Amino acid sequence: MALLLAAAVPWTQGRIDARLGTHRAQEEVLYLWSGDQVRRLAPGFEDLMADVYWLRTVQYFGGQRVYAVNKRFDLLLPLVNITVTLDPRMQIAYRYGATFLAETYPMGAGEPEAAVKLLERGVRNLPHDWRLRQDLGLFHYYFLSDAQRASQILLEAAEIPGAPPFLTTLAAQVLMRGGDRETSRQVWRRIFEQGEGPMRNNAAVHLAQLDALDALDNVNEAILAYERRTGVRPAALDELRRTGYRGPVADPSGVPFAYDRATGRATLARNSPLWRPQLK
Amino acid sequence: MRRVAAVARNTFRESVRERVLYNLLFFAVIMTVSGLLLGELSIRQDAKIIKDLGLAAMDLFGTLIALFVGVGLVSKEIERRSLHPLLAKPLSRDEFLLGKFAGLGFTLLVNVGLMTGGLYATLLALRRGADPALLKAVFAIYLALLVTVALALLLSILTSTAVASVSTLCLVIAGRYSDVILNLGDVVPGMPAWALRAVMILIPNFRNFDLKDRVVYGDPVTFGDLGWITAYAAAYTGTVITLAVIAFRRRELT
Repeated sequence: MALLLAAAVPWTQGRIDARLGTHRAQEEVLYLWSGDQVRRLAPGFEDLMADVYWLRTVQYFGGQRVYAVNKRFDLLLPLVNITVTLDPRMQIAYRYGATFLAETYPMGAGEPEAAVKLLERGVRNLPHDWRLRQDLGLFHYYFLSDAQRASQILLEAAEIPGAPPFLTTLAAQVLMRGGDRETSRQVWRRIFEQGEGPMRNNAAVHLAQLDALDALDNVNEAILAYERRTGVRPAALDELRRTGYRGPVADPSGVPFAYDRATGRATLARNSPLWRPQLK
Repeated sequence: MRRVAAVARNTFRESVRERVLYNLLFFAVIMTVSGLLLGELSIRQDAKIIKDLGLAAMDLFGTLIALFVGVGLVSKEIERRSLHPLLAKPLSRDEFLLGKFAGLGFTLLVNVGLMTGGLYATLLALRRGADPALLKAVFAIYLALLVTVALALLLSILTSTAVASVSTLCLVIAGRYSDVILNLGDVVPGMPAWALRAVMILIPNFRNFDLKDRVVYGDPVTFGDLGWITAYAAAYTGTVITLAVIAFRRRELT
């Protein structure tokens, strides 16, 4: 009898989760409490509570997965805010939160301004942390397209003891060649090299996107060359092989490029994991 | 002194018999599970979280033991009438009380010591290094537990077990809100400064004993800091135990 009842516990829990959703408790906690309230409720255990909220954040938004599957990104900022209010020195929470706030859906919330504000808060709380200041600079460059401010912040980061020398070079590069693909590649390579878990994965996706854009440039040039030589546009990208094109006709994730014969342009396929609305 | 030690020894044995140290099993489970899972879940924050978790568990479990066992130390002996034959022996009330305090103090020392061993074992198993600075936070937690035992003892002599449990718990919680007490003047503008000062002195400042955040982040905690925290604990515990001794001398045993 006891065994039967014990077996019924996980089964009934499964039924409740199926009806009400697995993450409902998280929402309740979120909307009831702010970081200050949680701090007041658990004096002496603030760091432990910060860890709990951090684990909730990672659990919900994914430790290793990059893409959102029915994720509610409106929960991300409150969760990270509670975490860093309880433990203002948890550097990873600022970096992780900012990354997924700034990215566009399905990778993030598409709120780069909120991401920059979060990083600014991190820089205020951890003024001697060059990585946070570096991220703030890079986010100004990449997400807010403000090369001037980005360069200034990167130079500030370079002056912090322990900061690597490449920050000075990167600051100059951002200012002089702001907007070009090679600078973006440098930026994401730095984030990839220093990143952990999903932030590293996210940077890897950006690097793959940049490679895809390079490959697309080559494909589109090959299409023009084909048209010049034959007088017609290729019916499919595979036809480019006949004219000697040896480059890839698929993006680094293996999804073939989309091709519109009417315009004669190849683009990233919408079903590619690398596709983003802003990538043209 | 020998008689105090004998009572202390018996108190420790009684605690073990009453399975007070069973909380260590929970601690072991928490440490093992967190050690196995946190690496995956926390994006390389496992060492920090294990330290936070281990120190918080010591603090929480220790406080609960200090409070609930502390409250029953003397009152249970009175209720069970087992105190009378003891006091008929060549044992004064003062020695009995001090022995009880020392016995629970030793139980808590064993408890905290084993938990510290578990925490270090988990960190070493994960190859995260055994940071000796953690011992400073552990020491401060232990001092806080001694203050809690002293308060529980005093209040259990002055009132009933239930009232003593609630009031000790209230004092422990209030002591963790020392920053709020400090700013009480802003909330209650008419409150005289001397009254605020009196509240601050009366309620034990448990924030003094909270070094968890500082040691986990590697902030310096000097031996001077530890010395002053120890001095505060000694002064507060000494005062409360002295009051408990006086109250116990005057207590009528029916």
